[in-house]
Amino acid sequence: MNKVIRYFKSLMMIELWQGLGVTFKHMFKPKFTVFYPEEQIPKSNRFRGIHALRRYPNGEERCIACKLCEAVCPALAITIDSEMRDDGTRRTTRYEIDLFKCVYCGFCEESCPVDSIVLTDFADFHMEDPKESILDKQQLLALGDRFEESISKNRQQDAAYR
Amino acid sequence: MNSPDNNLVNIEIDGIATTAAKGSMIIEVADRIGVDIPRFCYHPKLSIAASCRMCLVDVEKAPKPMPACATPVMEGMKVFTESKRAVDAQRGIMEFLLINHPLDCPICDQGGECELQDQAVGYGRSVSRFSESKRVVEDKDIGPLVQTEMTRCIHCTRCVRFLEEIAGTDELGGIGRGDRLEIGTMVARSIDSELSGNVIDVCPVGALTNKPFRFSARAWELMARASVSSHDGVTSNLYYHTRRNEILRCVPRDNEALNECWISDRDRYSHYGLRSDERLHEPMVKDSNGSWQIVDWDVALDAAAEILTDAGEDLGMLLSPSAFNEEYLLASRLLKGLGGKNIDSRLRETTFTDDASRQIQFECQLSEMAKADAVLLIGSNIHEDAPILGHKVRQAWLKNQAAIYAVMPRNYNYHFDCAETSVIEPGKMLGQLLSIAKALGESLDTRSLQANVANAVENAAADEFATHAANALKAADNALLLVGKMALSHPQADWIRALAQAISQAVAGRCNLIADGGNSTGARYYGAQPADGGLDVAQMLENPAKGWVLWNVNPALDFDHPALVQTALAAGKVLAVSSFNSDAILANADVILPLAATAESEGSLMSFDGQLQQVSAASKAPGMSKPGWKILHRLGTQLGLEGFEFSRLGSLEMPEECAAVRTDFEFAELEVSNGLNRLGEVGIYSVNAECRQSAPLQDTHLASRAVISMNPEDISTRDLSPGATVTATQGDQQIHLVLKSDPSIAAGCVLLPAAMAETAHLGSAWAAIEVEAK
Ligand code: SF4
Ligand code: SF4
Ligand code: SF4
Ligand code: FES
Repeated sequence: MNKVIRYFKSLMMIELWQGLGVTFKHMFKPKFTVFYPEEQIPKSNRFRGIHALRRYPNGEERCIACKLCEAVCPALAITIDSEMRDDGTRRTTRYEIDLFKCVYCGFCEESCPVDSIVLTDFADFHMEDPKESILDKQQLLALGDRFEESISKNRQQDAAYR
Repeated sequence: MNSPDNNLVNIEIDGIATTAAKGSMIIEVADRIGVDIPRFCYHPKLSIAASCRMCLVDVEKAPKPMPACATPVMEGMKVFTESKRAVDAQRGIMEFLLINHPLDCPICDQGGECELQDQAVGYGRSVSRFSESKRVVEDKDIGPLVQTEMTRCIHCTRCVRFLEEIAGTDELGGIGRGDRLEIGTMVARSIDSELSGNVIDVCPVGALTNKPFRFSARAWELMARASVSSHDGVTSNLYYHTRRNEILRCVPRDNEALNECWISDRDRYSHYGLRSDERLHEPMVKDSNGSWQIVDWDVALDAAAEILTDAGEDLGMLLSPSAFNEEYLLASRLLKGLGGKNIDSRLRETTFTDDASRQIQFECQLSEMAKADAVLLIGSNIHEDAPILGHKVRQAWLKNQAAIYAVMPRNYNYHFDCAETSVIEPGKMLGQLLSIAKALGESLDTRSLQANVANAVENAAADEFATHAANALKAADNALLLVGKMALSHPQADWIRALAQAISQAVAGRCNLIADGGNSTGARYYGAQPADGGLDVAQMLENPAKGWVLWNVNPALDFDHPALVQTALAAGKVLAVSSFNSDAILANADVILPLAATAESEGSLMSFDGQLQQVSAASKAPGMSKPGWKILHRLGTQLGLEGFEFSRLGSLEMPEECAAVRTDFEFAELEVSNGLNRLGEVGIYSVNAECRQSAPLQDTHLASRAVISMNPEDISTRDLSPGATVTATQGDQQIHLVLKSDPSIAAGCVLLPAAMAETAHLGSAWAAIEVEAK
C-alpha cells in the first residue's frame, strides 16, 4: 500500500509543488534585502568589530603599555613592545593585532584600564594580502581617530552596565 | 612533651606542632613548616625592623596581635595566622598601606611581581574608602642602575638595611617622620655600591626597579633561565629573564654555598654588553689583500685548521680566564694532538716561576669565609675583585669582629674598617710581607721556604704594622689571608704567594688567591696552564710562535702588556675565536670564528673553591656564532685528533684528576725599583669584553676613567698641577691625560687604569712610568 502511495506522489511531483508554494507565498511578503554597503542592518552598541586604539581629547594616546590586553588575549593575537618615552612615561613602541588570530572576544577591551584598546562597531573590512592581517600601532590609532565618535557614543550608552 | 634539648621549644602554628630553636622568630618557623605569613619588612638575611606590621598574627593568651617577625617563640606557644583577629589586623594594615600608595599598577614596573600587589589581592578591600589626597614624593636620581619611584615606597626600610648591613655603604636612609618619611640619599648623589642592584630585589614594591630594564617587559612574559655568572670565580648563580630568546634582565638565584641570595651589579648588568654592536656574528677570513671577507663556517674552519697544522707544535694558545671547563679541556687536547705545549689563561699575570707550588688556590671555602676572625688582605681591592667576597669579609668583620689588616698600593674604599693598613707603593709591598713574616718569629718555619726567600725573611725588619698584624693573625682561630688580583699580577707575585702561604701556615690559617677571571680554577684543573716543558704567557710573548689561538680575548685589553702582545702576534698567523670584535682583533687575526657567550652556550664552570656549576644556554647566540665546544670539536675531528669522539657535550667525559703543571721552580731575584711605577688597575667593569660593552655599567661612577692619579706629594715634588693635562711615558709609548690628585694613592706610584682603549698602547700595567707636564 505504502509503495503505491509513494509511486503516485512522485508521479504528481507533490513535494516540488509544496516547495514552490513557499516561494510563491514569499513573492507577496514585504522584502527585507539590505542594500549593503549602502544600507546597514542596525547593530548593537556592544558589537565587536575591528579594533582601534583611542586617544585622549588632547591627542595623547591612551595606551600605557601595561600589557594586560596582551596577557588576557586567548588567541595570542596581540604583541606589544614597550619602553620609556623621553618624557618618562610608559609607552608602546610596537602594538600589533593579528586579525586572523583574533576571535573578537573583546577581552582586550575588558581588561584595558584606560579604555585604550576597543572593538569598534565597524566590521566591513577586507584585505588583499594575508600580510595585511596584522594591524600595527599607527593603523590602530588611525582607526581610533576615524571611529572615535561612534566609539564614545557606544561606550556612553553602555556605561551604566559596566 | 618535654623537649630533650634545652635549646628547643615546642610550639604550634595553625595547629601544626613543631619544635624550634629558642630565640627564633615565629615567622622563621612558619616559613620552615610552610605556613604563609604576609610580610613586607622582614627579610631572612637582614636585621629585623618590625616596621610594616603586615605580619601580625594571633598568639594565644597575648592581649593583642603580635608581629610574627619580631616575636620570639616560647614553650607551648600557640599561633594562629588565619584567625579572625589575625586577618582583621592584616586587613587593617593593608588598608593603611594603600592610603598613600598609588593605585596605578598598570604603569608600575613592578606590576605582576609585586609583593604589595599580591598581598592586596589577599587582604585588600576591593574599593578604597580613602578619598583625600595622596602623598607624593619626588623621585631621586641614584645612578644609572636603579630607578626610583619614591611615591610607591612603603617605608619597609629593607633597602636601607641592605645597604647598611650587607653592602656596607650606608647610602640610603630615611628622612622625616610619619607620612613625611622619605627614603633617599642624604645629599643628592648616586648609589655607588658594587652590590647596589640587590635593592631592586629586596624592595617589595615598585619604588626601586631596574633602570635599564624599565618598562620593557612584564614579569609574566619572561622565562627564567638558570645560569651562572663568569665575571669572577664566585660563579654566582643567577637567572636570566628572557623573552623571545632575548635576555632582558638578570636576577639572583639562591645558592647558600656561593652567592647566598645576592649578585653583584657586574653580574646583573653585564648582559647588556651581549647586544652591543661589537658582537661577532659571522666567521671571517682575511684575504690576500688584507681585507676581511665574511665566509661560511666550512671555509673558515679550513682556514683555521690550516693555521693550526702549519704551526704544529709551535702553537701558542691564549685563553680567556672566563671560558668553560669543556673549552679548556678540548683546547688542551687540541694542542696536545698537534704536539704543542704552550697554553695559558693567566693573561694579566706577569710571573710564573712558582708554578710548581701553586697547588693550593683557595683553602677557605666561600661559605666559611665569613667565619674568619682575622684577615690579612694583600693587594686586594676585594669589593672590585669579586664583590661577593667583599661581602663575606664584611660579614666576618660585622659578625665576628674580625681584625682586618691590609697591605695595598692605594687606600681602597673598603666597606669595613681595617684594624690597620699599610698603604705602600707596589714595589715595597713584598718588603711589607717579609716584615710580617719576620714578625711571626719562631712560628714561621723558614725551612719550608726556598733559600732565597728564607734569606730575605731573615734580613727583614719587623715594623709596627707587621708586628700588629702578625700578633692578630697568631691570636686568631680562623685566620684568613686573601691575595687579590693586584698582588697576583704583581711582578713579584711568586714571592708574594710563597710568603702568603708561609704566613698562613705559620698561623694555622688559610690562604685564598683571588685570581682574575670567572673560571681560573677550572682553567688550572682542566689543563689550560702549561705542564712540563710548556711556556707560560710571559715566555710565549717573549718567544713568538708560528701560530696563535686567541680564545675570547682582546689582544689590546686583556693582557698585562698589550704592546708586547701585538708584536708577538704579528710574528705568526692568528686564529681568533671570540664573542666580541675589536680593532685589535681585526688588526692581529687572520681568521675570526664567532663564539657564543657564556649565557648563550652550555658548559660548566668551577668556582674559586672548586664547586662545579653547570650552565645551560639562556638565549640564542647571535648570527652564526657557535658554542666553544662545538668549534673545538669540529676542529679536533677535522684534524683527526684523539679525544674528540663524542657527539654531544653530555657524553664528553671530564677528567677527575687535576691537570699536571710544570715542576721547574725557581724564584727570580728580588729587584727593588726606584722612581715612579705604574699602578695599572683593571677596573671592576673592565674585566672582560661583555662588561666593557655594557652601557649601564660604563655609566656608573665605579667604571674606569682615563685619568692619571697621583699622590699630592708626588705631584708637588714634580711641579705638576692637578687638573692639567700631563704626559705619561712608558718605554717609547706616551699618553696625554688629565692629572688628578688622590691622597689615597701611595707615594711613588701612578694610578693609570689598564684594560681601557685609551691606555691599550702602553706597556706593562706594573712597569716604571714617567710623568711630566705637557
Ligand atoms: S578580541 Fe579577544 S582574541 Fe581578539 S585581540 Fe582582543 S582579546 Fe584577543
Ligand atoms: S591597550 Fe590598554 S590593556 Fe593594552 S597595553 Fe595599552 S593600556 Fe594596557
Ligand atoms: S624603597 Fe622599597 S625597600 Fe626601600 S623602604 Fe621603600 S619600599 Fe622598602
Ligand atoms: S614583616 Fe613583621 S613587621 Fe614587617
